[in-house]
Amino acid sequence: MTAYLLNLAQLAAIFGLLSVSLNILIGYGGIFSVAHAVFFGLGAYAGAHVALDLFPDLLLAALASALIAGLLSAALALPALRVRGEYFVIASLGLQMLATTVFTEAQAITGGLGGLVGIPPPTLFGFTLADPLVFLFCCLAFLALALALVRQLMRGSFGRALMALRDSEMAAEALGKNVALIKTLAVVLGTAFAGIAGALFAFQEEFVNVESFTLDQSVLILAMVIIGGAGTLSGPLIGTLLLLLLPAALTFIPFIPPTDIGAVQQLIYGFAMTLLMIFRPAGLAGRAMGRR
Amino acid sequence: MSALLSARGLTRHFGGINAVEAVDLDLAPGIITALVGPNGAGKTTLFNLITGHLAADAGVVELFGQKITGHAPHRIARMGLARSFQDLRLFARMSVRDNVLAATEPVSWFWQPGGVRAARERAARGAQALERTGLAPLARAEAADLAYAERKFLSLARILASGARIWLLDEPASGLDPASRARFTALLRAAVADGVTICLIEHNLDIVIELADRIVFLDQGRKLAEGAPESVLGDPRLAAIYFGERA
Repeated sequence: MTAYLLNLAQLAAIFGLLSVSLNILIGYGGIFSVAHAVFFGLGAYAGAHVALDLFPDLLLAALASALIAGLLSAALALPALRVRGEYFVIASLGLQMLATTVFTEAQAITGGLGGLVGIPPPTLFGFTLADPLVFLFCCLAFLALALALVRQLMRGSFGRALMALRDSEMAAEALGKNVALIKTLAVVLGTAFAGIAGALFAFQEEFVNVESFTLDQSVLILAMVIIGGAGTLSGPLIGTLLLLLLPAALTFIPFIPPTDIGAVQQLIYGFAMTLLMIFRPAGLAGRAMGRR
Repeated sequence: MSALLSARGLTRHFGGINAVEAVDLDLAPGIITALVGPNGAGKTTLFNLITGHLAADAGVVELFGQKITGHAPHRIARMGLARSFQDLRLFARMSVRDNVLAATEPVSWFWQPGGVRAARERAARGAQALERTGLAPLARAEAADLAYAERKFLSLARILASGARIWLLDEPASGLDPASRARFTALLRAAVADGVTICLIEHNLDIVIELADRIVFLDQGRKLAEGAPESVLGDPRLAAIYFGERA
């Protein structure tokens, strides 16, 4: 039981990091991406390779993952960011589908459907982090770092510029904001943290394959941000806890047959999201309706 | 004195429509120029061509003696050209204070240069803009929650805080009640007294007469007349066009 709870807590920290990072794009930048799992995946593969081919140092893997996810996102984002709003959603959807295929087919790098197996436990400053509790604290430390950075940046001039272009690109430009540059910086920052989450995930699962980095995963991360409250600091964490713990909680309800849990979960998600968008469109942590 | 901003032969077509056709415009320093004309005359398009939000099919724009044709809007803005929008385009989900602070921050990077001292100077500039526009008590309110007149003043406060020397204002005083309008025009006059050059689009001829030193009359993308308010507004031919009695 303890092992199960520790595992769940590690996943919550990793997905918390993912949703906090996607919130930079969606919540503060209004950049609607449904390709966040791509950068989560890139980070996971990069981290897995560092661990398997070099040595399983947690910081080195995190750094490599952040660099690969961040730099590739810059290359991919630059052309895509020229299009606005709903067109970017479609562009990111295309990227997600493309990446799923590449992850499946590029067997030499990703191991294809079989994935990369036997990822050793991570080390930190030479010590092996075999204890799941210690690894949990590492995940929480990365989450705390991301939260602190987001909080600091969003209170400063970068956050103001990012939110300004979210609310009106044209007005932001007219006040001297380099919209393309600010968007690119936000995307690189957000995807770099998604990459780190991927590295943590690789160590946590000891195995990575394409199934963790599909459109379903991107939609799940998106739902965490939106249900919790996009553009707020605590919202993505609330959404993450809710969407991760719900399936776990359902398994404890005696009268639902285990085979039907998936269906019940989908029904609850569907209802919850619809009701939320009607009654609290800014998310659980967002501002309530009716003040406007 | 030579013009701070001068446009020569600005032209922009949308499909078969000549939105702006070979328009010359000079903004002389320290005066208010009003662009007047019926709907669809090309006034806002002319603004968009000058600020770089639209690419011109032909023509040249010079700002402070430098050619800015083809430059990105943010580069032109940083040279000291600010504009407002007919539909305001406030940063709706940001506080009033952040709307104004964003206008004072020139660099698009993770931080601004100049450290604490420069930050203090920017904050003071923002606070002063809020003070002058009467928005200081609402500094913490979200822009979306403001009343109509307050939004108009916030749009102006952003421009004030930007420190720009040339302002292009698109119907800045439309829909204001008489008291707010008087405050608004007083602010514009005070800015001009401080050396700001203003070009505004305005449909309300009372405001035009009250404020403008010079009028440029546009119709169907072409400049039909230019000169002192009394001579342009006194022309019966232009009045007929303006009030829709086309021959």
